[in-house]
Amino acid sequence: MIGRWAARNAVRHPIRTGLVVLGIAVASALLLDMTMLSGGMERSFENMLLSRGFQIRMSPKGTLPFDTEATVAGVTPIVAALRSDPAIAAAGAAVGIPVHVRKADSLVTLVGYGVDPKGQGFYQVLEGSDLAPGDSAGMLVGAPAAARLGWRLGDTVRLLGRLDPQSAEAGIERLMTVRAVVRWLYDSRDQLSVGGPYRVVRAMGRFVDPDPGSMIMIKVREGHDVDSVATRLAARYPGVQVNSVAALVRQFRNRLVYFQQLSLILATISLVVAVLLVATILAITVNERLGEVAVLRAIGVTRARLVGLVLIEAAAVTAVGTGLGIGLGLVTAGWLDDILTSFPGLPAAISFFVPEPAAMFRATTVMIGAGLGAAGYPAWLAARAPIALTLRSEAE
Amino acid sequence: MAHSSVVIEARNLAKQYSINAAVVSALRGVDLRIDRGEYLAILGPSGSGKSTMLQLLGGLDHPSSGTVRLLGTDLADLNDRELTRFRLTTIGFVFQRFHLLPVLTAVENVELPMAEAGRPRGQRLARARELLGYVGLASRAQHRATELSGGEMQRVAIARALANEPALILADEPTGELDQATGGQILELFDRLHRDGATIVVVTHDEHLAARAGRQVRMLDGRIDSDTHG
Repeated sequence: MIGRWAARNAVRHPIRTGLVVLGIAVASALLLDMTMLSGGMERSFENMLLSRGFQIRMSPKGTLPFDTEATVAGVTPIVAALRSDPAIAAAGAAVGIPVHVRKADSLVTLVGYGVDPKGQGFYQVLEGSDLAPGDSAGMLVGAPAAARLGWRLGDTVRLLGRLDPQSAEAGIERLMTVRAVVRWLYDSRDQLSVGGPYRVVRAMGRFVDPDPGSMIMIKVREGHDVDSVATRLAARYPGVQVNSVAALVRQFRNRLVYFQQLSLILATISLVVAVLLVATILAITVNERLGEVAVLRAIGVTRARLVGLVLIEAAAVTAVGTGLGIGLGLVTAGWLDDILTSFPGLPAAISFFVPEPAAMFRATTVMIGAGLGAAGYPAWLAARAPIALTLRSEAE
Repeated sequence: MAHSSVVIEARNLAKQYSINAAVVSALRGVDLRIDRGEYLAILGPSGSGKSTMLQLLGGLDHPSSGTVRLLGTDLADLNDRELTRFRLTTIGFVFQRFHLLPVLTAVENVELPMAEAGRPRGQRLARARELLGYVGLASRAQHRATELSGGEMQRVAIARALANEPALILADEPTGELDQATGGQILELFDRLHRDGATIVVVTHDEHLAARAGRQVRMLDGRIDSDTHG
């Protein structure tokens, strides 16, 4: 019965309650977005690196793979040695160079990857079939390049390499046939990329070293410790940078510290706003109903029951607001992610906001907890209302 | 008279309030005994201490000194939870401004004390309807308090006060907000309650109401000035 009183009171001022619910929804949305931001980028980075199960990267020292023209020298014997290592399940080298195609009167520049399908960890075939062993004319096309250049499976295109910057004349040309449309896992959004057999693409680039590699990816066999293997390889190849994905994630986390601080500050602000909203509305409501509270106490309702009612009211308002806020947070996260991941050079597979059930649960729990905490003062007001004094002032 | 017939026994009851650093004595050592089945009116001018007296008798406030024994229980011996439960089961309150909960219907307002006492829903609904019938409002059971007239609200408040079959009914100016005709209906209701055996204490300015009570206690400056029967 008294619960009915509390429930009907909650909708006694629908506009006021609605505005508070809306305020909590906005605060919850911000809290959820900040919760997703604080951990989402790191997880998304890790997922991206492990998407094909390769846990170790070997790359030129002091640079990111494909970021500069620096390469690892003599990759073929290195890959052969890695493949014979009993702790290693798969290994493959990749090289990246600029390649070009003519489209009408213009020249379109693409990233050309030289890949080894036996040990590749950075593309997924979307349509068609992967390069077969010995297929020296096969080409893989990234989905954005296929769309932009109008290429389909089976099309033959002329790839140009070693372009002279003065004359725009190519030093080498190759006719390649599209075997598959792929998703390049580390490409930025709308990046135009193609891939071909490692030896073919390497031959189209300008390299000082005859056997260069931009990166070697290694998959460790089950039962072997990835970090131990990485440490062993680093000792064996001192001229090369060897990193496990876990180590890369740790480095990434250190660089994300500013993001995490920012998200913590904004999440705290959203919580403070929610607490102030709930505390204010309930304090107003309790003060307005102090006469009713005194009557309830007079006719035999205990303090504990009144405190419980105020807490339930706070939990209900916060829960409804948080429910709306989760939806709003997911929408805004998608929108913000769209903006942030369109930054040039950022892999499209990285998400700033990863909608995980754990993040939603955490945001909901924290917000409802904050709502209950905010009800502390109004609940105290209700419990401590002096019956006689309040009834006397109501009668005046 | 046998001891068991005593409903209230107040001894040397005093109450002081601090107002703007000044101490005001609302009650100055009052002794009062009320027996079962009595219909008592407490009269007096504003500030004479009659409402304070009612609040102390009903356990709504604590005396500065003195004791109130209700059905043999010293109210000072009860903690807040026990005192609240005691009010719920032993006392029925009727207030000048009715104090119904506006978001509840008439029947829900009457059900409320029974729900707090833990009575099963069917039982309390039946009793609430019976009580609304007793006060002549059976047809208004599903109306919200805000849809009722002043007299109707006071009758619902009386039904609410009777819900847990209290040993004592305390009414503070029950006709104070009503016109004469409506007030008359409430007085008849109190007469009927008295005839049915209820112990009633009414605080009032209304001499007409006081005259219907079997006993009149007149207060002046926080003391009992006179205590007459008949």
